[in-house]
Amino acid sequence: MENANDYILEVKDICKYFPGVKALDHVSLSVPRGVVYGIVGENGAGKSTLMKILSGVYEKDEGTVIFNGETIEHTTPIQALERGLSIIYQEFNLVNTMTVGENIFLGRFSLNHGMRGTHKKARELLDSIGSSINTNSLVGDLSASEMQMVEIAKALSFDSKLIIMDEPSSSLTSEELKKLGIIINQLRDRGVSVIYISHKLDEIFEYCNIVAIMRDGCVIDVKPVEELTRGEMIAKMVGRTIENEYPPRAHFVGEPLLEVKNLNTRKLHNISFTLHKGEILGLVGLVGAGRTEIIRAVYGADKVKGHETLLEGKPVRVSSPKQAKKAGMALVPEDRKREGLILPFSVQNNITLASLSDLTHHGVVDSSKEREIAERQIEALGIKTPSPDTKVVSLSGGNQQKCIVGRWMERDPKILIMDEPTRGIDVGAKYEIYVLMNKIVEEGGAIIMISSELPEVLNMSNRVLTICDGRITGEFNPEEASATEIMDKAIG
Amino acid sequence: MSANVSINKVWKVISKQKAVIAIFAMMIFMIFPQTTFYTAYNWLDMLRSTAILEIVAFGVTVAVLCGGCDLSVGGTLCLGGILAVMIVNNGYPIWLAFVVALLSGAVVGFINGFLVVHQKTEPFIITLGMGMLLKGICQQLTDAHPITCTSLDFMQISNRKFFGSIPSLVVYMAILFVIFFCLLRFTSYGRNCYAIGGNYEVAKYSGIKVVPIKWSAFVISGVTATLAGVLLASRMNTGSSVYGDSTGMLVNCGCVIGGTSFAGGVGGVVESFIGLLVIQMLTNCMNQLGIDSYYQTLFEGILIVLIIAGDCYGRKLKRERV
Amino acid sequence: MKKINANSALKLLQQNLVLCGILVLIVVTAIVEPKFLGAANLNNILRQLGPLPFAALGMTFVIIAGFIDLSNVGVISLVGVLTMGMISFLGQVGALIFGILLGALLGYLNGLILTKCGAMTQAEVLFITYGMSSVYTALALLYTKSETLRITSSTKPYTIFTTLGSVSIGIIPVSLIVFLIVLVIMHFFLTRTIWGRSISILGGNKDAAFLAGFNVEGTMRLAYTIEGIMAALASIMLFSRVTTATATSGSGYETNAILCVVVGGTTLKGGKGSVLRTMLGVVLITMLGNCMNMLNLSTYMQTIMRGAVLVIAIWLDNRKEL
Repeated sequence: MENANDYILEVKDICKYFPGVKALDHVSLSVPRGVVYGIVGENGAGKSTLMKILSGVYEKDEGTVIFNGETIEHTTPIQALERGLSIIYQEFNLVNTMTVGENIFLGRFSLNHGMRGTHKKARELLDSIGSSINTNSLVGDLSASEMQMVEIAKALSFDSKLIIMDEPSSSLTSEELKKLGIIINQLRDRGVSVIYISHKLDEIFEYCNIVAIMRDGCVIDVKPVEELTRGEMIAKMVGRTIENEYPPRAHFVGEPLLEVKNLNTRKLHNISFTLHKGEILGLVGLVGAGRTEIIRAVYGADKVKGHETLLEGKPVRVSSPKQAKKAGMALVPEDRKREGLILPFSVQNNITLASLSDLTHHGVVDSSKEREIAERQIEALGIKTPSPDTKVVSLSGGNQQKCIVGRWMERDPKILIMDEPTRGIDVGAKYEIYVLMNKIVEEGGAIIMISSELPEVLNMSNRVLTICDGRITGEFNPEEASATEIMDKAIG
Repeated sequence: MSANVSINKVWKVISKQKAVIAIFAMMIFMIFPQTTFYTAYNWLDMLRSTAILEIVAFGVTVAVLCGGCDLSVGGTLCLGGILAVMIVNNGYPIWLAFVVALLSGAVVGFINGFLVVHQKTEPFIITLGMGMLLKGICQQLTDAHPITCTSLDFMQISNRKFFGSIPSLVVYMAILFVIFFCLLRFTSYGRNCYAIGGNYEVAKYSGIKVVPIKWSAFVISGVTATLAGVLLASRMNTGSSVYGDSTGMLVNCGCVIGGTSFAGGVGGVVESFIGLLVIQMLTNCMNQLGIDSYYQTLFEGILIVLIIAGDCYGRKLKRERV
Repeated sequence: MKKINANSALKLLQQNLVLCGILVLIVVTAIVEPKFLGAANLNNILRQLGPLPFAALGMTFVIIAGFIDLSNVGVISLVGVLTMGMISFLGQVGALIFGILLGALLGYLNGLILTKCGAMTQAEVLFITYGMSSVYTALALLYTKSETLRITSSTKPYTIFTTLGSVSIGIIPVSLIVFLIVLVIMHFFLTRTIWGRSISILGGNKDAAFLAGFNVEGTMRLAYTIEGIMAALASIMLFSRVTTATATSGSGYETNAILCVVVGGTTLKGGKGSVLRTMLGVVLITMLGNCMNMLNLSTYMQTIMRGAVLVIAIWLDNRKEL
């Protein structure tokens, strides 16, 4: 019986290119029927891209997909569902304003002869996975685990043969997680295959039969789960094939510059840390661990009360970015286009954004000074632009990022906070950003850096804090600690 | 702790059912002064006065549920009435007047749908402009003079009474209410509207034909507006370009007051009905109490600002929760 | 090289399709009706400019900040009747200052309500300012009891107003001179001062402005305050010219102001635009009206035309790239 039909899904040599990035590089996977197939990898390893290609959200650039013995050239999300391939995303694909029953049969209301039939069918499906959710309640009122049950029921309503779960545990409590485990086992017993994508290795070991490890858009290894240890798995996740170039690390760590004490919100618990002069502090954690929330609270962008901020030993109140700016902080946000740049504006206007109030004399902006600043930063950072009046939207990602960095450099910030400073930037521009970072700390500033790229953190920072579930779980000296150790703490 | 939770719950209910609470507040308040508020005649009169706006609101509700908005209904209503009166005055049968008027509404809705759904423009200002355009057409058609209808039959449509004392407009409103209620609640078309408004992307990925459905919602909105226009023309026995001046804003505000959200996917005809009833009841109460009509406009404006600003404030609090 | 030129010319044409369309119309009128470019008619056009440029100027600031305002109808009405009423109490200079301060206050109040309740989307802003507009109109009605106020019945001198309304220096009316001065100041304000720049930045990207340390709410209130002052000036120009003021004299100014702004090429998405472009829009819209007069088309046709231009302008604006 060793033939292709033993596999529900075969993926061969899939490639996907995004502008400047190769997101998937000849990925091949074969998922047998009736197994739980784990896929692990760091943020940005290409797992989500692969899933989006399978579900028809993205088009693949090269390669073949064979699902249930049928070669699939082109698919749309609804076709994928009808063929029996369901994906449960981290962000649930549910309409919050509608009931559970309606969500399960979304767009197929006529299938069950009216609302009563729909609810009856939905009830049966939910019962079959042992869930007691009322089919008449609104999805928006459900907890995350209940929403997941609805998604699973929805997948089953399509008679799915393969269910892909993207980070299913990220919003679940440990109690709910156990329940999910039971359901996954039930599904496997019915002959449904499950692809289980997760960062959390404990779950992988508990539920999965086979594990594929992805890194940098490639599949590194595929093995039955019994043949792997936790250590091996982490080593394979973090080991890099392509090493970026890094400038030599700066080493002038001085006295404390910024102290944050007892930062507590709904997501963050007891966050306290110190940043020293001349230091690059790396924050490492998975997406959703609370990294961005920490820096937003420190920068005053979210209204948070109760914590204490000390700047050079003196308490300061930072309740808005305006005050943060006055205190000498600067933020290079994660989402360049949404939070950083003003896209319809020129390079010059984007660079002078933060220093505009310093250029005014009785409220009038000194335009020659403005020009001067723009030209100075363009030259200092090597921003490649035809002229300061070019629209910033037409620059490359790296140059756009430099515009934001330049905006703050003009103010000589004491503390520069960088959220994913090199995301979506090509290698050459990355190096230039690194050099810039070193220059800032050499001049006595300090940097808090959030990054999902572990090698970047290891090579650039003087100290690393790992964040997991809103808590600081470890502190490392990157020159002594290994990537595996750090990852272990970040995964929790 | 538990007291806190229950207060939260009560607050949640209050913030969701503002319109119902406003109605009860008015009803309780009206017990005390000596007025004719609590008479069957007054209630029927109130319903009759609000019927035209309610009918417009039913159609607009469909567009709003899909995540759109139609501010052109004032002009559409006006156009429908004028066309109907002109056709009847020229000696054509009444059914033809209805057909032509409703068709004109369908055309307007189709154009709105094209601009908003197909071309993806923001619906607010563009439908406002559409209303202005239609207003001009109405003025051009009538030379800005009201035209009186010469047919008694036509006038009878909205001015007769059923079952002895029930105004026909109330009956029409009730029928349309049931139709729209069933359309939105029990048909797959209606449920798809909710899905599109609730989450456009999910609806699209679930295989719902989002563009044609949302487009048709605008057509429905246009058609019901013209229907209301014909009924209004029959009620007044005139077609005039001054009708419907504030209808567009009032009806859309009414929908929001009742709880139909511009974010889409939340609400329904019941909510819209209640929302417009609040406005009408406020007017009625103030009439009963003999309050100056200028104060009435004032209170109406304050009510709109309070309820919509309250809605915004709720969303602001939600956004800022970390 | 030539091909690139042709391409960029085509692009320029696409970006300014509405402008070009109206220009063509003007040229055609000039050919059909040579009187159109005669001195008498030009003088006529200059006279017609009156209050609209001010209203459009104020609207430009709100739209550049990424919002919209329907309340200028109410502001124009209320400021008009109160200022005229105040002439007898405060004297003409006092009344003038009072009117402008009142406009600023009403505008600030709009901004305050919008920022306090956290209105961010176009829908929220639209309906709240509509509600505010009816509140202001109601206050004006309460003040006038729907009577028409006449400037001639003031007990103190009112020559400033009549000068503003009807005196010309050469062929240029005084009101136009005042407008040009205001225009230059506002252009300078928008492009060169930190406050004006903040308004554009706010419209460009609210989140980025917030994270770069701008006071987003304060800037929003500023934009609305400017809008209020400009509406007050429009109101003063209006009653100076017609010498009467009523509680509804502002009606229609909201859509006409939006029309001028959009036709000028300021995008409703916010962030980009200039007061000079709006000025161009005002001139073109006024000339459009004049053209239609010359071609003996009814005033209703003008409303149709304005509505159509507004709809088309927004549609094309939406199709433009960044």
